[in-house]
Amino acid sequence: MQVPYSWIKELADIPWSAEELAERLTLSGAEAEVEELFEAGFENVCVGHIIELEPVEGSDHLKKAVVDSGDEHLQVICGAPNAAKGQKIVLAKVGATLKEGFKIKKAKLRGVESYGMICSEMELGMSEDHSGIIVLEDDAEIGKPALDYFGLDDPVIKLDLTPNRPDMLSAIGVARDSACLAGTKLKRPEFKLEESAEKASDYINISIDDPDACPRYAARIIRNIKIGPSPWWIKRKLLLCGIRPISNIVDITNLVMMEYGHPLHAFDYDLFKNKEILVRRAHEGEKFTTLDSKEHELDPRVLLITDGEKGVAAAGVMGGLDTEVTEKTRNILLESAYFDSITIRKSRQKLGMTSESSIRFEKGADPNVVPAAIDRAAYLMQKYAGGEVLSGIVDCYPKRMDPIRITLRPERVNSFLGTEISKDRIVKILTDLEYGVEDKGTLEVLAPTHAPDVTREVDLIEEIIRIEGYDSIPFVERNSGPLVAVTRKDDELRSEIRRVMTSQGFDEAYSSGLADTDLLAKVMGNGQPQLKILNPIAEDLSVMQSSVIYSLLKSVSHNISRRNVNLCLFELGRGFLPGDPPQENEQLGLIITGASDSDWFTKPRNFNFYDLKGAIDVLVTGCRNPVPEFKYADRIPYMNGMSFDLKFEDRPAAGHAGMIDPEIAKAFDIKQPVFAALLDFETMLNMRNDDIQFRNLPRFPASPKDMAIVVDDDIQAGDIMKEIIKAGGKLLEEVKLFDLYRGKQVPEGKKSLAFAMVYRSDKGSLKSKEVIKLHSNIAEHLKKCFNAEIRES
Amino acid sequence: MPGLKDIDKIKAQALAAIASASTQDDLNNISIKYLGRKGVITSILKSLKDLPIEQRKSVGAAANKIKVEIDQEIKSALNKFKISRVKAGIDPTLPGIARRLGAIHPITQVIDDMCRSFHGMGFAIERGPEVETDYYNFEALNFPPDHPARDMQDTFYVEGNDLVLRTHTTPVQARVLEKCKLPVKVITPGKTYRNEEISTRSYCVFHQVDGFLVDEGVTMADLKGVLVAFCRDFFGEGMSLRFRPSYFPFTEPSVEVDISCFLCRGKGCQLCKYSGWLEILGAGMIDPNVLKMADIDSEKYTGYAFGIGVERIAMLKYGINDIRLFYENDIRFIRQFI
Ligand SMILES: [Zn+2]
Repeated sequence: MQVPYSWIKELADIPWSAEELAERLTLSGAEAEVEELFEAGFENVCVGHIIELEPVEGSDHLKKAVVDSGDEHLQVICGAPNAAKGQKIVLAKVGATLKEGFKIKKAKLRGVESYGMICSEMELGMSEDHSGIIVLEDDAEIGKPALDYFGLDDPVIKLDLTPNRPDMLSAIGVARDSACLAGTKLKRPEFKLEESAEKASDYINISIDDPDACPRYAARIIRNIKIGPSPWWIKRKLLLCGIRPISNIVDITNLVMMEYGHPLHAFDYDLFKNKEILVRRAHEGEKFTTLDSKEHELDPRVLLITDGEKGVAAAGVMGGLDTEVTEKTRNILLESAYFDSITIRKSRQKLGMTSESSIRFEKGADPNVVPAAIDRAAYLMQKYAGGEVLSGIVDCYPKRMDPIRITLRPERVNSFLGTEISKDRIVKILTDLEYGVEDKGTLEVLAPTHAPDVTREVDLIEEIIRIEGYDSIPFVERNSGPLVAVTRKDDELRSEIRRVMTSQGFDEAYSSGLADTDLLAKVMGNGQPQLKILNPIAEDLSVMQSSVIYSLLKSVSHNISRRNVNLCLFELGRGFLPGDPPQENEQLGLIITGASDSDWFTKPRNFNFYDLKGAIDVLVTGCRNPVPEFKYADRIPYMNGMSFDLKFEDRPAAGHAGMIDPEIAKAFDIKQPVFAALLDFETMLNMRNDDIQFRNLPRFPASPKDMAIVVDDDIQAGDIMKEIIKAGGKLLEEVKLFDLYRGKQVPEGKKSLAFAMVYRSDKGSLKSKEVIKLHSNIAEHLKKCFNAEIRES
Repeated sequence: MPGLKDIDKIKAQALAAIASASTQDDLNNISIKYLGRKGVITSILKSLKDLPIEQRKSVGAAANKIKVEIDQEIKSALNKFKISRVKAGIDPTLPGIARRLGAIHPITQVIDDMCRSFHGMGFAIERGPEVETDYYNFEALNFPPDHPARDMQDTFYVEGNDLVLRTHTTPVQARVLEKCKLPVKVITPGKTYRNEEISTRSYCVFHQVDGFLVDEGVTMADLKGVLVAFCRDFFGEGMSLRFRPSYFPFTEPSVEVDISCFLCRGKGCQLCKYSGWLEILGAGMIDPNVLKMADIDSEKYTGYAFGIGVERIAMLKYGINDIRLFYENDIRFIRQFI
């Protein structure tokens, strides 16, 4: 929405410059900016005078003109048929850049030099007309900048409106707010319409099939009009509103729309088959061609204006081609109607088009401005198209919409806002905004139909404060509501995870959570359920990811493509699965690839599975979780034999870990080994020990003793540890694996493991005899369970 | 006048100083103090002429003796220094051996900072589902079906029963209001989705920290108060704050909140597009319809709500010019925020 500053000034007394006005409008609810619309296209364009004109030899239409540009005489070649000696014209000099970037340069045509161009309306962006040059009034001042001459140097107020402000989609609406802000009165356009004796109602009959969709339809008949160009003042206003002038009739409907905010439509009355208007829903499959020559197949979502049989307009969106006003048009049916916003919204969605008209109806037009708007247009058509306006408006208004009555308590205004606005001030603001106000202690307010969003007391409070200014609200520093908020356990855990993972050198990743369906299937397995997005932004973002391993692999892939090949990343995100309701699980993903940090002392080393396991060990310890067991599993996306489920005792798997199957990594363009793990956040939260209890420090000394055993290579260290703990009983305080050896010192297919045990009693110092006994008990147990050979104990 | 006893004392002091010297500089200073041109021993030797003749000889000889002894002692101590450094092989300018710290993502950092600030003012933290029902994302927040306001939110629809990817975290407000005991004071940090063309300025995902308070007698002045307090805590002292009217279906009146540009302090610069102001959040008084839908008496209770875009604040704060960087996880990006 844009409207020239000068138009606002016509309708309201305001003491401000365009910039000041824009600032005030912005601070009162309509984001406004000032733009000089035509300035760029009018540099080096001025009024010129053709002082000589003669044909160019060898050309049937080119003419050589000498143009007085004020300070010099320029030779200009011109091809326009209407150019004549003595005319005042618009001259674009060398250096001018016209609309759409067309640059004027020194040129040579048929061997004759040309130092500029005599312009038509098209070149200046005023209309599509390039049939001839613009001929100015005789008294136009030679050398005057054209921008100035046309009055297009006017600043334009551009508004970026929120959906609750349809009242600002017109010059009158902007002027109403402006006047209210300035404390002055709105000046509506004044005119006197003269009607002929014949009644319009004898020429047209209106009926409405669906009054909910079309509560009001009004029409006037205007006869014997003469189609032609509009006067300059109308063209100028439209140009500054960003609307191309077309012809007087169309221009006038557009002008009144910009003035009153109410869309109008002019039909060629003679092209109506029946002299009637029937507003109805379109039939399924009904064909209709709009003004822009597009044929549509309709359905009942579209509200159709018909002549009783055929459609003449898609109500509130666009007129039909068949009844379009053309040069031949003599008699006009002028429509001023009010359509329901949701109907128009659905209709324009079905038609796949929006127009200035549909925007206004969709946001909410004013049913009660219908007569004023149609009268204003009829008046202008009479004046500028020579029309004869038949007597009366044929007004079909089956569903009256009256101003809404709202009770406003001035004290509520202040207790809601924390302000001290006086009752008088409240009355003044509302009255200036054209609300009806009656003071009965509380205020009885009539909300005008131009503000359809104002229906409640709180809406009036907003109207008052946006005019009074939000600066008038003080800052109150006090603590309302609860004084303290308890920190949630899940938030504590998130912080802990981040702290522990970053202290282990992992960087935190974030992802969109949107995934490519084929690539996700690689990570989750073919045929696994995926939550689909119905209107994806792109094909590779069409499902929700079910595992953060997916997004971590994407992040690894991105980094490797940027030559960051050594990576430790973690992500706290959600995985989604379809269902009713869909499942949403918070997950912690870890991923490592490449080599460990190296420096002048430490040699680089490729990451392996135990780096991942170690990171998980530290993570669970740091988050006060028990250490999970790694159980062989066969899970996608891991490589066979390198895939484990993470188990806390007998609970369902808390997550999984392993090495990503190289084939799957390759699908992400990753060619180096990648180790990944996923932990269920909810499980970590449940397993977290948040009840730390102090234990007495040991009073008696500990007795450390080591043991080395040789066992078959396929026996798992964890199983041996479990048996040691079992056999060690209460007096075994700690056992730790400190060495693992395979090689020459042990037989083929065997390995040597060395454990450090610590024995301690809380009853007294253990005697060495007791320790030896415990130690040999364990050794015996290991012999029995694993056929272990005890090497040293 | 110094006697022999004093000379012994001077020697003892000097040797003690040498023994406790920990750097070469210390030793140089000791040398100057005792042996320099204005040093202790030099001045004794200079003052010999004032002594009775019988003492001159003995004191002079003793002073010369300790002069040689101290000099030798300093030289050998200096030598030791040189030897010990070579022996230990320490070059303190070599980098230390350490594990590199990982970086917490800037989005987490900004969210945590915001939460810390509001948490300190008594706001509890609530989260909700990211796949949300049309009811909580729109209807319960006073977006009627087919209302043009829905066009302001470019919504992703998800297969299922009227499901969307939440376009804001305000649906958590609707969920909390439905079941909470009043008064209630909550912030709702989280991820939200918008079906927008991806560019340097917009992404299909962003994070929000929304907040609200419902109690008896809450006014818009309270809203201003809490936002001023937050801005002081988050952006630093000396910020001014401005309310500009706006529109959200779930608040009435609704405002955009600007703070004075922290780069130019309101004078106008490229960051604030020469306006002196930066738009940082949207806010307003909770619309009575929203309260009614949660069965709260909107005459008795009033409330405010606000919503902050995390990426936008992070971009302003750190001068980041491309929102996509947040989601590419290039470690050269993330590690800048360690
Ligand atoms: Zn600035």
